[in-house]
Amino acid sequence: MASIIPSDDGHGGAAPVRRRAAPGLIWFPLACVLPLVVLMLGFFLWPLLGAIVNSFHPYGLAGIDSAHWTLVNYRTLLDSFYLGVLWRTVRISFLISLITAVLAYPVAWYATRLRPTAQAYLLILYVSPWLVNVAVKAFGWTVLLSPRGLINRSLMSLGLVDSPLPLMFNETGVVIGLVHAHFMFVLLPLWAALGGIDRNLLWAASGLGATGPAVFRSIVLPLTLPALLAGMIINFTINMAAFATPALLGGSRVQVVSTLAYRINLIDLNWPLGAAMALVLLAVTLALVLAAQRLGTARREASA
Amino acid sequence: MRTGLKLFNGAMAVFMLAPLVIVVLISFTPEEYFALPTTRWSLRWYREVFHYPGFVDAFLLSLRLALLSAFVATGLTFLAVYALVRFELPGRKTLDGFFMSPLLVPAVVFGIAMLQFLNLHGLYNNFWGLAAAHIVIIVPFAARAIMAALHEVPHQLEWAAMSLGAGRLGTIWRITLPLAGRGVLAGFLFAFIISFDEVTTTIFITGPAYQTLPVRVYNYLTDQIDPTIAAVSSMLILMSFGLILVLDRIGGFKSLGR
Repeated sequence: MASIIPSDDGHGGAAPVRRRAAPGLIWFPLACVLPLVVLMLGFFLWPLLGAIVNSFHPYGLAGIDSAHWTLVNYRTLLDSFYLGVLWRTVRISFLISLITAVLAYPVAWYATRLRPTAQAYLLILYVSPWLVNVAVKAFGWTVLLSPRGLINRSLMSLGLVDSPLPLMFNETGVVIGLVHAHFMFVLLPLWAALGGIDRNLLWAASGLGATGPAVFRSIVLPLTLPALLAGMIINFTINMAAFATPALLGGSRVQVVSTLAYRINLIDLNWPLGAAMALVLLAVTLALVLAAQRLGTARREASA
Repeated sequence: MRTGLKLFNGAMAVFMLAPLVIVVLISFTPEEYFALPTTRWSLRWYREVFHYPGFVDAFLLSLRLALLSAFVATGLTFLAVYALVRFELPGRKTLDGFFMSPLLVPAVVFGIAMLQFLNLHGLYNNFWGLAAAHIVIIVPFAARAIMAALHEVPHQLEWAAMSLGAGRLGTIWRITLPLAGRGVLAGFLFAFIISFDEVTTTIFITGPAYQTLPVRVYNYLTDQIDPTIAAVSSMLILMSFGLILVLDRIGGFKSLGR
């Protein structure tokens, strides 16, 4: 199709194509961008800024006491209970990203060796859990993992265990549920990166006597590290924010930041404290994401 | 080694599908509890769903909400992304980052901020407040798909139309949109399903009058459990897979890999 379109600069088809039209024109693109910008300023940035303001007000019986300013909400969060919940959330989220990375490598490796049509089916298989409702997925895991669930009943009727294994209503349940739910966020970048590796490199390495693990360590891992880190960062962020999965599979004993924030905001109705919690979660998430990106760039520069 | 790799991938496929398949199987049980149907299969729990107005109302609400949000988000995002792709707008990078930034804010954080914002401005327990939140959440997904689609449309065709006398909006409507149609449709479908299934932010801002279907399913699960929920879940799974197949057909998953 492109060949029948005359090139715009009159020098023939080989000349570089200028991508942008009418650079001088300004009112039209501005008018195009404006509605979305206004909407996002009003319903995204403003609510977030409002939460920052609310977190510096004290909690009054009527809700937010807007007449006074305080740091008491942030001081409350330094209590060992809240710090403990935050630490648990970070720890579980990181563990999930790590397990996902370890499981995703062999899947991506296998996938890149398949024919394109088979790859397309495999892609659907791994994307589909993400597009199925979270509550539905958690329900499916409940049927499988609960003390009287299918797995435990099968194991017991086979005589392999005497009492049900504690597969849910604890951190194990949360980890299983979230590894499943957020798997594609690590898998897809890794898949693309592995597909881009020149196979000759691998043959050359093994031809020169490198063993499988050595090839992985000195060729595959360095070449896929940026993609791996990018995937793990996204995976980590959404693990930190997960709500329904920890609430349904972790039970009341595994409090994470999101389930605790739900209680504070909607049951205790302590909005200033709830806002402070939201901002701490946002700050911790953004700080860890930035740190991971830094690490990624530093690594790339060191290896270049 | 190769057999090991195959076995491992087989196990991973089972891991991915098991919780979904089990839900569908159980929804056909004739029993009062979660049992795999063996000899007798029954549709009684599907009938039960339609006799429970909570689910039917919630489904209609979710459908209305997701259609409206996806429609508005796709429309506004298309215009904005068109401007970013085709023009030298000052601050292009910043705007692009701004449109993608909802991805960086954890859903709970946005839910809390929205809860307080909507309450303080009298929009709590209100359909439009809910819709505004959903639009913000789905903008990045629509933007990604539409941006990929617009890069594939040769801009010379737009120039040709304009030099023959078409206006700017007319050109977008009659030339760009049809050529970028598949990508825009993919953006719309992603936006629709993400809005339809959103739980984390929504649960903070649904008032009692506006419980979406996923929120109702969540509340039902924390409270009582019987195979009705398996039937509802199966229908949701069916809907997701239907959309996934359409998305795959129109090449919608290509924008995911980037």
